Amino acid sequence: MRPEIKEYNYDWMLGSLLKTASGIGNCSEKEIHYLLKEIPYFRGTLSVLLREGEIGFRFIRMLSLYFENLLNARDSGKKVAAITFCLSPALFHAMNIVPVTLEVMTGLAGLLWKRGAYDYLDYGCELGFTETSCSSQRGALGAYMAGLGEEINMFVCDTPGVCDTNANAFAFASAYLDKPFFQLNYPHTIGDDKTKQYHLDDYRDLITFLEEQTGYPLEEGKLRQILMEVDKQDDLLAELEDFHLLKPNPIPVIYNLFIYIGRFLFSGCPEYTALLADMLTAVESNAKTEKSGLYSGKENIRAYMCYIDHYTLDLNFFNWLDQHGIAHIGGILSRNFRDNAGYTANLEKSTYGIDTSNMTTMLSSIAEMNATLPMVRSIRGPLDGPNMWLEESLSLARTYKADCIIYNGTPGCRNTWGMVKPFAREIEAAGFPVHIMYGDAFDDRVETWESTKTRLDEFLSIRGLL
Amino acid sequence: MTLTAGCDVGSLTTKAVIMDDKAVKSSALIKSKSNPEASARQAMAEAMEKAGVTESELSNVIGTGYGREKIPFVTDVKSEISCHARGAKWLLPSIKTIIDIGGQDCKIIRIDDQGEVVRFVTNDKCASGTGRFLEVMAKALYMDISELGDLNRKSNSPVTLTSTCTVWAQADIVKFIHSGIPVEDIGAGINLAMAKRVSTLVNSVQPEKEVCMTGGVAKNRGVTSLMEKLLGFRLKPIRRADPQLVGAIGAALFGRNR
Amino acid sequence: MMKQFMQAATGLNHPGITQWKENGGAIVGYSCSYLPAELIHAAGILPIRLRGIETTGMDMGDAYFGPYICSYPKCILQQAAQGGYQMLDGAVITPGCDSMRRLFECWRKAGEDHQGVVPGFFYYFDVPHKTVDHRMKWFVDEIDSIQKAIETHFEVEITVESLHRSIATYNQGRKLMRDLERFRTQLPAPISGTEAFAISIAGTTLPREEFNATLSNFLETLENRSDKNPENPKRLMVIGSISDDLDLIKLIESNEKALVVADNLCFGVRHDAEEIPVTDNPLEALAQSYLGASTCPRMFGQYKERLAILEKKVESYSVDGVILQNIRFCDLHGSENGLFERDLEKQGIPCLKLEREYGPLADTGRLKMRLDAFMERIS
Repeated sequence: MRPEIKEYNYDWMLGSLLKTASGIGNCSEKEIHYLLKEIPYFRGTLSVLLREGEIGFRFIRMLSLYFENLLNARDSGKKVAAITFCLSPALFHAMNIVPVTLEVMTGLAGLLWKRGAYDYLDYGCELGFTETSCSSQRGALGAYMAGLGEEINMFVCDTPGVCDTNANAFAFASAYLDKPFFQLNYPHTIGDDKTKQYHLDDYRDLITFLEEQTGYPLEEGKLRQILMEVDKQDDLLAELEDFHLLKPNPIPVIYNLFIYIGRFLFSGCPEYTALLADMLTAVESNAKTEKSGLYSGKENIRAYMCYIDHYTLDLNFFNWLDQHGIAHIGGILSRNFRDNAGYTANLEKSTYGIDTSNMTTMLSSIAEMNATLPMVRSIRGPLDGPNMWLEESLSLARTYKADCIIYNGTPGCRNTWGMVKPFAREIEAAGFPVHIMYGDAFDDRVETWESTKTRLDEFLSIRGLL
Repeated sequence: MTLTAGCDVGSLTTKAVIMDDKAVKSSALIKSKSNPEASARQAMAEAMEKAGVTESELSNVIGTGYGREKIPFVTDVKSEISCHARGAKWLLPSIKTIIDIGGQDCKIIRIDDQGEVVRFVTNDKCASGTGRFLEVMAKALYMDISELGDLNRKSNSPVTLTSTCTVWAQADIVKFIHSGIPVEDIGAGINLAMAKRVSTLVNSVQPEKEVCMTGGVAKNRGVTSLMEKLLGFRLKPIRRADPQLVGAIGAALFGRNR
Repeated sequence: MMKQFMQAATGLNHPGITQWKENGGAIVGYSCSYLPAELIHAAGILPIRLRGIETTGMDMGDAYFGPYICSYPKCILQQAAQGGYQMLDGAVITPGCDSMRRLFECWRKAGEDHQGVVPGFFYYFDVPHKTVDHRMKWFVDEIDSIQKAIETHFEVEITVESLHRSIATYNQGRKLMRDLERFRTQLPAPISGTEAFAISIAGTTLPREEFNATLSNFLETLENRSDKNPENPKRLMVIGSISDDLDLIKLIESNEKALVVADNLCFGVRHDAEEIPVTDNPLEALAQSYLGASTCPRMFGQYKERLAILEKKVESYSVDGVILQNIRFCDLHGSENGLFERDLEKQGIPCLKLEREYGPLADTGRLKMRLDAFMERIS
């Protein structure tokens, strides 16, 4: 790692940038105009967020608060846990632990800095972590392993059996830094009683582990409070989801990002609820006037992202969708499979409900909630198994009337790269054009955005979509 | 006075040097042919002619490089890692870490005070981070590889290049050219991608100072200055010989001790 | 005897297999060392490890697998799709790692394009990544399920008695392998790494009784073998990614000073677990033994235990250097090799980390260069 980079704390750099940005809300348009001139790299991403007005600011403020919590964790006597995006942070909030969602931390560097997380990505490799490992964890982990972030007290993941590359990143970092490690471990089945019992047993072990690490027991009242907030969030999400059904889709492309980043960081926290409520209001008003959420105002086609989005500088990918009049009808990350969401109608038995009557029902609820998160739900088993990736993608693409399906990940997504070709074949056979992106969602150096864009354009024109 | 020779048959170039007890008497550097033996013979013949010696006067000829097993006339063979270590130590006695960028691979070698190899790493399968990478990129820019090094000084905003695959990087370059990006920015981007790749490898062996570079890429000022910036320390230049000859010199030095 | 081992180690259709088929026996291939082979054996079926040797291209592998996938399962698929696994009556795929588990989908897809390449019995066997009680219970259930599936498909009955017999047969093989290993700890070792590796690979593909008998005879000859290994060799240990590549060990030993005396490989003697106890509940006993030993990095979070295994081996085999190899895209072994290198070098044990491709050793020259330099370093 370049020596000058070792001078700065990663969390602090991201946090202070976001804190400054969250103050822009009070600026005049003229002031913002001059400000943007001063920030050539952050400008692109910031402009996209500013375009969303108050909701964009709320999102920035939420991120800023997240860093404030993290940077003050130790002083407030809280432990810090590195977690992954497909592990719900709700339990951690209920137990007063600050969760660091590694993929968000890496992604933010990509969105906010010109050089993204490059130096940190490479630093992992300097330590012996394979360069073929997933970039989504490798970036932020590079900073933490270099001692450039807040001290991580424990590593918790739920990906063994779901994404070994992900689990391996947590195992490596915990061994490298000699910190405790815990894994939730998912079987290849979902929905049956035996699996549910297993989910619960395993989740209880997680709670025991966290209690040992913090020295405090999980309080029933606190868990209830958090779950009731999740319940509210799920109601809002279910309503938002229904608007994806409309043509034109009144949901702005970037809302997808807000929805899942919010959940990755603040599931069960009021800040996220407020953001969702604002988003719902905005979408409702669009829907009333039959307005598309796209800035061009004209919806040409609808794309279903069967995996993740692309997070490099200037929010290029989201802009590209917007410019081409492509409605983003969600992807694997934006949905959580709560039983009240309309899209789950065809995917029963792999959803969760929330029952806060007593500790037993709450534990079952939260264990099942975690079991239906992205990847954990649908790539734990064989591609064509019940409720698995193929069925989920086809069902959602049909429900939301997708015109095409786009796969994007990172070269580290061993589990999906192992089946994406058979997957694409089945999807094509079902009548959906599929595009496989070969780049890296978190590292522009694997394939530059220019190349990625050319290939996307090519796909649209060859398949006669635009 | 004993005369020894070192012959380094690489994937892109073949090098031969003839040494006496004190110094390098002569050297030759040619493009490698498809047949390692022919490359070795030609380089040796050139070097011998320059030094005015015949094969029988040489007490030992040590072979190294990829083609080393295929040279029939050598007394012994040594791996190029040991040879680069030996040669660099002789040229720069204070050296502890050697970065050798060859045509087909890149090696980082750490040695102790006696010049013994303590640790080394090499890049793996991919050509990025090797001389071959620069050669392909230079070709895509329609320029000679020796011209690449100067472009950094002229560029203000180097392009971002895919660092993991030579083929993709090449495709990117073609696209950059077509979209009218100045050639110096592309060239500087190439050097940067190369320097980043190699620096990561260097850091993985916890380099100790002094550090020097050997191999052809050591002559590319664009890459070396970027590497110094990325690594945060100075690379000690080799002045007593062409950095590309270090492996062959090391081989010839091994011949002395036999 | 050695010829028999060598044949089995280097050819998919070695005489042991063809003879078994001629006698009308069924064969089931499996992808991972976490599957208790005793179970298949107890059904009177020959269990063999799935391998990717003898492939010449990768077109079939690449047709179904994505680009960022380990070449090991790609080579297995290559073999399968071009008809190399016609001898199989069944195949069991496990989530050994993400690349391997997707053989389940890719192989079936290949079956849609190429008639008859998918065996009649094609089964996905779940293996947990940790050993806590409820996970062990899950694993026992999995073993129970596959037992029933085998019984139904092959119309056989696997009794407690037949399981006990199979466990005893496998235990005998384990004991013989431990005897062989004792020879390798000797100074000088009377057997080369190539020979020893051939034996342990043969153990994954020869009928167990035949393997035991041959090994037992071989060990007797070893007692009186005059030392044919180089004098004062550098004693090496090879660890890392899955490998049934005899050529890799041969390549290492082609350096005149190198002798591979130990390994910690999936096809090698990594699973030198204690003998499996004969109890009233053989499935439970199998589950405990197979999942209990944390030998593979797929058992996340148990790095320290695996480091301890290596440290013990370095000492008991008097190892001078460790070769840590991984197949490209094998993040599990690749990263753990990084940690091993850090921790072993700290103790003064020289390490060489190699990343390579599985399959025909195309980059032999590059590997050789590094191996030779490593030998020069430790000599």
